[in-house]
Amino acid sequence: MSERAHEIEALALAMFAAVPLYLTQTIGPVPIVVYHAVMLAIVLRVAAGKSAEVVPAWIMRGLAIAYIGFYAVDAAAISRSAIAASTHLVLFISAYQPIESMRRRNDAQRLLITALIFTASIASATHVSILPFVIVFAFFFFRQLMHVAHRDTIAAAAATAPELPSSRAAGFYLGATSAAALMLFPLLPRVRNPIVPGLAGSLTNASTGLSEVIDLNNQRTISSDTTVVSRVTMGRDAMPFFTPLRLRGAVYDRFRNNQWLQARREFLPLDMSPNGSVRIARDSGFTRHAFAQQRFVTGTRLFLPVGTYQIDGVPQVYEGPTRDTYMVWQPRTDSILYDLRMARDVAPLTVRRVPVSNYPVTPPITSMARRIVGNHTDPMTQAADIERYLSTNFQYVPDPSKIGRRMTVDDFLLHERRGHCEYFAAGMVALMSALGTPARIVGGFYGGKLNPLTGWFVLRREDAHAWVEVYDGAAWRTFDPTPASLRPGAGQGGLLGMYASAIGDSINYFWDRRILTYGLADQLRFFVDSFESARDALRAVKLRVQPVFTMHGAAIAAAMMAVVALLYLFAWQRRPAFALLREHLARRGVEVGSAMTMEEALGRLPADDAAALAPLISLYERERFSAHVSRGARAEIRRRLAALAS
Amino acid sequence: MITPPATPHSAPSTQHSALPWQFDGVVRLTRIGVTFVLFTVFAGFAAINTGNNALYIGLSFMLGALLLSGVASKGGLKHLSVDFESVEEAWAGREAHGRLRVANRSRIWNVRDLILTSSELAAPVFVGIVGRRRDVHVDATFLFHRRGLVQLNSIDLYTRYPFGFFLKKRRVKIRGDVVVYPRLLDAEAARERFRPIDGEQHSASRPGPGSDVHAFREYARGDSLRHVAWKKSASLGRWIIKQTELEAGRAVHVVVDPYKPRSVSDDDFEQMVSEAATFVHEALRRGFEVVVSMPRLELRNGREIFRALALIEPVHEPFVPLVDRNSVVFAVRRSDERKSA
Repeated sequence: MSERAHEIEALALAMFAAVPLYLTQTIGPVPIVVYHAVMLAIVLRVAAGKSAEVVPAWIMRGLAIAYIGFYAVDAAAISRSAIAASTHLVLFISAYQPIESMRRRNDAQRLLITALIFTASIASATHVSILPFVIVFAFFFFRQLMHVAHRDTIAAAAATAPELPSSRAAGFYLGATSAAALMLFPLLPRVRNPIVPGLAGSLTNASTGLSEVIDLNNQRTISSDTTVVSRVTMGRDAMPFFTPLRLRGAVYDRFRNNQWLQARREFLPLDMSPNGSVRIARDSGFTRHAFAQQRFVTGTRLFLPVGTYQIDGVPQVYEGPTRDTYMVWQPRTDSILYDLRMARDVAPLTVRRVPVSNYPVTPPITSMARRIVGNHTDPMTQAADIERYLSTNFQYVPDPSKIGRRMTVDDFLLHERRGHCEYFAAGMVALMSALGTPARIVGGFYGGKLNPLTGWFVLRREDAHAWVEVYDGAAWRTFDPTPASLRPGAGQGGLLGMYASAIGDSINYFWDRRILTYGLADQLRFFVDSFESARDALRAVKLRVQPVFTMHGAAIAAAMMAVVALLYLFAWQRRPAFALLREHLARRGVEVGSAMTMEEALGRLPADDAAALAPLISLYERERFSAHVSRGARAEIRRRLAALAS
Repeated sequence: MITPPATPHSAPSTQHSALPWQFDGVVRLTRIGVTFVLFTVFAGFAAINTGNNALYIGLSFMLGALLLSGVASKGGLKHLSVDFESVEEAWAGREAHGRLRVANRSRIWNVRDLILTSSELAAPVFVGIVGRRRDVHVDATFLFHRRGLVQLNSIDLYTRYPFGFFLKKRRVKIRGDVVVYPRLLDAEAARERFRPIDGEQHSASRPGPGSDVHAFREYARGDSLRHVAWKKSASLGRWIIKQTELEAGRAVHVVVDPYKPRSVSDDDFEQMVSEAATFVHEALRRGFEVVVSMPRLELRNGREIFRALALIEPVHEPFVPLVDRNSVVFAVRRSDERKSA
């Protein structure tokens, strides 16, 4: 590979390192596009056999000096982020260095800057696709390192020799490095710096499909976002009763200025049992067990499936910011794992009086509600009537922007009769309020897809949904006026697509669970499990050995120990001649270092000792370095050393 | 005929003993290695500070690369051995070409970009690759500073492979003896010594190559059968050798006196040996038959002569050589005496 090809590869590698920045949105696309354009121009010039000076070097040097001031302005005013400004700076340096390399060899710095771009790229990435990127980058990075190593060696030896092809070697070392990294990854300490808070802060740049307020004054825009919010698994016996899943995340129970708000209250710590369980409701009916893996997308709020009455394996749980929503005290964590206990019916721990919502019910709404429920008087029957009426007579619009204008709940119910899930839920709450029944809007995630390979229900941001809870005097009952076939996740894909999605999700699950969210708790669990496994294994061995540990067993054990001792003795006797000589020299006060020859060690001995030992060293060298094997040399050395020692 | 390389003795200034990258010890971090280590520390700090597992992945790769770099270079060098194969005629102060065999007994590691250095090598030797379980033969240029029997003891192996983070060194044993011929001086001095005998051709009254019979003597082991006097041997019943008279016009008799008084420095002695070697070399180059007399030795073969001059040691007892008026004598004298010729 020619020097020019290597130069082009180095430039392309720097460009490649910046590609994930487009997707992770750590910085805006404009600086990356400019960077890639400049680098591409440099590549084209180099490929044409010209210098890399796409911009005159003196201008670049001037820009570099000017950039010092620009960096502060960028961080403070333009990008308003030290991370983004630093990334801009690194990209600038990366474009500057090839031009500067005309004056001096700066391979080390160039590779460092490329590695910094790579770090910026992976630091903000959370998707499994970053892994192939890391591998491809590492392969070419290794090739570059090998090239630089070769060139430095050639220069040191003042030799001229063509570089051997390095792809195979780079592949070999990539495999070996990956294996080493695989072993190192779980062992690297996950103890966060307790003194300095995170410089980078949260890198998830997460936004949720849930909002703090359902604002009907502004048109809602819904974009498809497949980021996984939560995974829930449960036994097959539980699935018919607890699916489709509804993860509750927000409760909107106050209406003001055409907005549905969450009635704030103090965060109340919940009692935790000695075994780490937190009870949040009373259960009735049959119960089942489930397990959840959740990413925090709204503070540290928990998205609990409807029917949950107890949470296990979480730190301190608080009720808040509204009633019946929960959060945990777990700072600086992106995700959480917990066990759930779910019951067919749950009720609040304390019975309380629940007021009707403060939605300003108008007479048309009241008459509409009366018309829908007819002569039914039971609130739950009325709720079911309204749910059925809305889901069958109203049109669901997946994209609220298609309506094209601001719309109130009354408009939705009386005129437009179409909207998205928040309108359906708000409409039902308005109608229930008209009937004098307490009801509220619940925001969360609905449905999800079952991955048949892992057995997990996967709920994503695009599964955000709003439904209704109606109070029956003792407990909140769930109703969903949005047409079932149009709720999130109701779309049907082909069989192949489903399996592809399942495989992709399985990989993502492994990535999320074993890689992205691997933390100190996992590490501790790993060590505890390893310790317990070892202890159990020993116990099992002990239980098996104990019955046979009679005299007969003792004799066998003694025989085995004797064999081991003999083997050890044999190995000790078969020590290489070098070890024998080194021990002898050590006894004489001369330590043979790893870079020392025996002659050098001999020179440190007193003359008499050296003269006595010299023939043995000659003998050793003949034995060690001769092409012919001299079988008796080691025994001879041992014998003569023993004679010398005596 | 002995033909020393044309390189003048002052030319090989590439002796590498003071090359800046050489070091004592077994490992040294290179500039790119320092950069990489600092960057790894930085990435480690960022990973711990943010708890970002993507950074931990990068950190794992970096640490893995560092670890592997150390293991690979050490594992590769550990299984290398170097054997001395041959060297052409070696003259002190002149480069001599030779061959080394580098063997890699490792089952895993190839070793690339290997540099061999030694105090006896004129310049570092670069070896592109020594594949695992393979050996390579490399040409090496030796440079010996002193005549005599030189024992090659060790050779240093350096490599930056695979990633150039570390410059690893290993000193390996090498066994080899080389007889280094004396340093050849400026040929002009030798020409001066030739002037008295140039143009003359007469009997030297000494045994040597020639046509006239000088004497008969008993057969000695090593004598050529071509010189057997068959008739005389038959009449006497034992092997008799016919010695011819040295023809001085085509012959030079050189006497090397190894006596070194204690007041004479070793350098003067070496200078004398070099002068003798230079004279003999010039004589051979001119086509003379050369006989060199040393204590208990009389040599005619050029290679043997130079070998003897390479190995000659000073003696502290005076030696009385048999000289005639045509002999060229090389000897050292005390500073108050003149060297005779």
